[in-house]
Amino acid sequence: MTATTEAQAGTGLLRPQTGRIRRAAARVLLSDHFVLWLSLGYFLVLLPFLPTLGTPANLANLLSNAWPLLVVALGQTFVMTAGGIDLSQGAVIGLTSTVAAALIATAAPPEVLGRAPIWGTLIAEEGGIFAGQVWVGILAMLAVGALVGLVNGTLVALLRMPPFMVTLVAMMTVSAFAIWLTQSENIRNLPEGYVQLGKGQIVSVYFGPQDRPEIPRRELHAVIGQAALIAVALTLALHWLLERTAFGRQVVAVGANRRAAEIAGVPVRRVIVLVFVLSALCATVGAILYSARLEAGRPTLGEGTFLLDVIGATVIGGTSLFGGKGKILWTVWGVLFFVLLSNTLNMMNLSAFHIDMVKGAVILAAALLDVARNRLARSTG
Amino acid sequence: MSARPLAPQSTIDLATRAGPVLILVVIVLVFGLLTPSFLAAESLSNTAKQASFIGIAAVGMVFVLLTAGIDLSVGSVMYLAPLVAGLLMRDAGLGVAAALGVCVLTGAALGALNALFIVGLRVVPFVATLATLFLFRGFGAWLTQSRQLDFPDAIRGFGLASVLGVPVPILVFAAVAVAAHVVLRHTAFGRHIYAFGNDPAAAVKAGLPVRRVQAAVYVISGTLAALAGFVVISQIGRLDAGFGRGREFDVIAAAVLGGASLFGGIGGAGSAVIGALTIQAVKAGLVFAGINLYLQPLIQGAVILFAVFFDGLREARLRALRRRVIRPRGV
Amino acid sequence: MSAILRFEELGKDWFGVPAVSNLTLDVPEGQVLGLIGENGAGKSTLMNMIGGVTEPTRGRMLWRGRPYAPASAAEASAAGIAFIHQELNLFTNLTVAENLFIDGFPRRGGLLRGLIDRGAMQRRAAGLLARLGLDVPPERTLDTLAPGERQLVEIARALHREASLIIFDEPTTSLTPRETERLFAVIEGLRAEGRTVIYISHILGDVRRLSDRIAVLRDGRLVDEGPAASFDVPRMIRSMIGRDLAAVFPERTRAPGSRPVLEVTGLSAPGVVENISLTVREGEILGLFGLMGSGRSELARLLMGLDRAAGGEVRLLGRPLAGGPRDRVRSGMAFVTENRREEGLMMDATIRENLALPGIESFSGPAGLDRGRIAATAEALRETVRLKAGDLGRQPVRALSGGNQQKVVIGKWLPVRPRLLILDEPTRGVDVGARSEIYAIADRLAAEGAGILMISSEMEELMGLCDRIAVMSRGEIVAEFARPAFEERRLLAAAFRSGAAPASEPATGTEG
Repeated sequence: MTATTEAQAGTGLLRPQTGRIRRAAARVLLSDHFVLWLSLGYFLVLLPFLPTLGTPANLANLLSNAWPLLVVALGQTFVMTAGGIDLSQGAVIGLTSTVAAALIATAAPPEVLGRAPIWGTLIAEEGGIFAGQVWVGILAMLAVGALVGLVNGTLVALLRMPPFMVTLVAMMTVSAFAIWLTQSENIRNLPEGYVQLGKGQIVSVYFGPQDRPEIPRRELHAVIGQAALIAVALTLALHWLLERTAFGRQVVAVGANRRAAEIAGVPVRRVIVLVFVLSALCATVGAILYSARLEAGRPTLGEGTFLLDVIGATVIGGTSLFGGKGKILWTVWGVLFFVLLSNTLNMMNLSAFHIDMVKGAVILAAALLDVARNRLARSTG
Repeated sequence: MSARPLAPQSTIDLATRAGPVLILVVIVLVFGLLTPSFLAAESLSNTAKQASFIGIAAVGMVFVLLTAGIDLSVGSVMYLAPLVAGLLMRDAGLGVAAALGVCVLTGAALGALNALFIVGLRVVPFVATLATLFLFRGFGAWLTQSRQLDFPDAIRGFGLASVLGVPVPILVFAAVAVAAHVVLRHTAFGRHIYAFGNDPAAAVKAGLPVRRVQAAVYVISGTLAALAGFVVISQIGRLDAGFGRGREFDVIAAAVLGGASLFGGIGGAGSAVIGALTIQAVKAGLVFAGINLYLQPLIQGAVILFAVFFDGLREARLRALRRRVIRPRGV
Repeated sequence: MSAILRFEELGKDWFGVPAVSNLTLDVPEGQVLGLIGENGAGKSTLMNMIGGVTEPTRGRMLWRGRPYAPASAAEASAAGIAFIHQELNLFTNLTVAENLFIDGFPRRGGLLRGLIDRGAMQRRAAGLLARLGLDVPPERTLDTLAPGERQLVEIARALHREASLIIFDEPTTSLTPRETERLFAVIEGLRAEGRTVIYISHILGDVRRLSDRIAVLRDGRLVDEGPAASFDVPRMIRSMIGRDLAAVFPERTRAPGSRPVLEVTGLSAPGVVENISLTVREGEILGLFGLMGSGRSELARLLMGLDRAAGGEVRLLGRPLAGGPRDRVRSGMAFVTENRREEGLMMDATIRENLALPGIESFSGPAGLDRGRIAATAEALRETVRLKAGDLGRQPVRALSGGNQQKVVIGKWLPVRPRLLILDEPTRGVDVGARSEIYAIADRLAAEGAGILMISSEMEELMGLCDRIAVMSRGEIVAEFARPAFEERRLLAAAFRSGAAPASEPATGTEG
């Protein structure tokens, strides 16, 4: 096509051509992998300007940041697909990480934790009452997380309270409770087995000359760590749950049309309760990964803008805030995009506030894109 | 014999309608009984003064909630708008009155930006204002490099002043609430907001200027959030980078606690006043009663949850009233 | 006598299918024009064109002799046309007076300029209400008013706007007889004032009583028109239906059995239904006839466990039912509601997804859902219900026509093999071809031994399809007829039994 004909494109002579372009644009925009393409494009565009972006060290770092966020966003995906929202995930992370640490820490300094109400009952100088028993800690975390989700879900499903307000209150109270437990102190001295869940490496790669007898540890880049295994396994399991089980399809149905779902025999209340439990459990697994990396239980672990990262990544992936539309794969790409974005912004030496601004702009852009996609879907459907 | 049903006056209806006031009264009485000094004139005035911050912004939030929208950006507007005014005070020698004007106008402009996204580009309010929450705060932090901004002393002359013994923040809060009440109750614009929140489709059919109405509420919310920020800054004389962060939730909670519905069409300026006073009374009362600082949010959360539960009860009641009656009484 | 509104060769196509075609008709000023026709005859499309909701494809409208092409509901209203639907366009959170003046409040002058002058508004509202004989304080909130009172408020709003043409679309469906009488008096009054009225109703007796002229639509065309005096009810029905009905209804494949599938005894819910008892047998199609607002759909919701009953018992195959909709679906009930968009379909989900939903748990294997079997079932259903659609796994239900959407709603129940199927207005807004296919599905299910409860306000389809017809009125079952006793007059008399005021002429009509 020549320049002159291109200039005439608007005159209607080239309708078929523009139609083809439109269709191609529609195909990309409406693809399940749209956000992946977006991330790859973004990555390739920035690569020449940020030489460290593509280094193994950075890629490993990028992935290790992605796993915990992904795990939490998976739960949010289920809640949103069912037409709800869960603002309490961050608070659940804070509480469960604290509970686990309090139970299984192997030592505790009295000068730090002496004022905590759990001092002397759950935790003392020689550590938590289950010091070193990682599995007890994890089970306790999951139990606590599930309980929060159960309360959220019950209030939403049975009392028909709006999820936004219910989980907002849960966020306030759960996080206050976590802070009260330790009087806002962190609990350190986590057992090694627990720390390994966040930091443990299984497959690492080394790029460099092969003639050295010993490779410095910092040149080993974790590709597959325990965190990655946990996150990938959970992603696959939840993908299966949402796409390939009756429960998953019922989640979608509740979000798409709650009344129609109810009439079709979908156990609507049970689905809603389970979705909030699942969301809290995902937050709990996220808590394991985050606190293991931090090597501490911290009551304020999920505070601040973390929650907005989770919601942002989920929504950018393509899951609808109004329910009925959500895929695990979308969220995977959404998280990838969000992590890549934070990573590059950090690399540009942008400060926290620039990152805030760009994040805001990206959420907005994603929302506008979603508006455009919906219109396109209507017009081509 | 008329088939007209009586106005619903059962106990439940009364309780749902007057619920927020009842909750406030009960809370004040309970804390008053626990610690009588809570009821002293000075501490009550102090409570009201502190309530003015969230209260002023909650008045704006009520406008938004009445249209079944939401504004998550108020916490960032509270930060950015006074910041712009403060920078101009510092660098351009702006006076206090002019700074107040700049602050309020900035808030209106930020609200207009929300309105542009929501009404113009049809982004859902939740997402649009979530995005501007980040944008506004990031922009403010960029302006100051995240450093604390100290205001000229003159500004505290405004914030700490009293007129006839009434502190300025309370006066501003009262003026905003009264003005909002008049607008909502006694102007066509106000009634259009209620109509739109009740049934957007019917509002369009009735030829109401729905887009203008919907845009205006976000401008009002931005303006009042800015004003709320200014009132606090003018008392403390400085603005740090975290100011207003997370306040959007307090503001929404106050409005809902006072009886504004998240589903639109229900609530009023009074809701913001009652809600903000309730939240502040709980906070102050817990302090007076010597409740562990760490446990206070738990009790606040429980109070809000109770209010939301009431809101749901009222909605269910209204739905039941709207339902078609097949066998009307009196036939 | 001049025409206030005139249609000239007006036509409207939906996706190439004409909904209204070549319509030329005068609406005479100062008179009441009765407009009748079956569902899908084009009445709503015509009203939507007058009301600025849809644009005509061909022809034009003349309003007071000038070309009239409203782009929005607000423009139609500004021209002086008002609509009174059964769904009222009122704001329940505002007062009666505010509802009347919502688009133009009286303002104060002087110091408080710009504020609403509540005193003046109250007075003027009271005046308007008094003209309609509505004794309600103007400062009452609308949600405290009864349906009939709300409707009068809407009429008062039309008066306030100086509407010269007021269109009533099925206005009596949610009114008590007393309220209906009052409405008729009001309509007489409007005509006396020189206003023009279009009155649309399925209750033919009412139409005849109120109208000066009557126009009949069928398949989007004007098939009959003339002075009301020249119309008797048989002529109205003949004009409306105008086709051989027998071909539409299938020969029933098998006679009903004797074993009861559904047994309802003494079911009551205050304000809704009272002491309902009925039985549906194996292989039987029981029709439930009643006017809109007689409690039919509410009864269906009670049977399905969507609303709670205060007393009585529902048994399915002898087992009492107590739980919610899920339990009832699992024990073999299926429900096609009257609102397929709100309660039947996931509009943006694919056809396959919709078809699979009720039976989704039965498609589960140890490795999760058997997607091959879901796809195969959906394809089989496509054949069974004669679905005209593209790729079932990709096409969203939203992209289907109304009739095909309805086939999806019915078809999705077939894989769960329901013992009792409740169909609530299954052919509303569905064209004749799709109708006969829906009837065929009902017949086939009955032949396989299911019981069917078919709710309809169209007498013909009930008489053509059902083995028995129960008639509901004011929340009660007032009569039951076996097939040999089917007769339009008797059904209608029963439907009106506790409804019609004794003074009015025997109500005759049909629901279409």
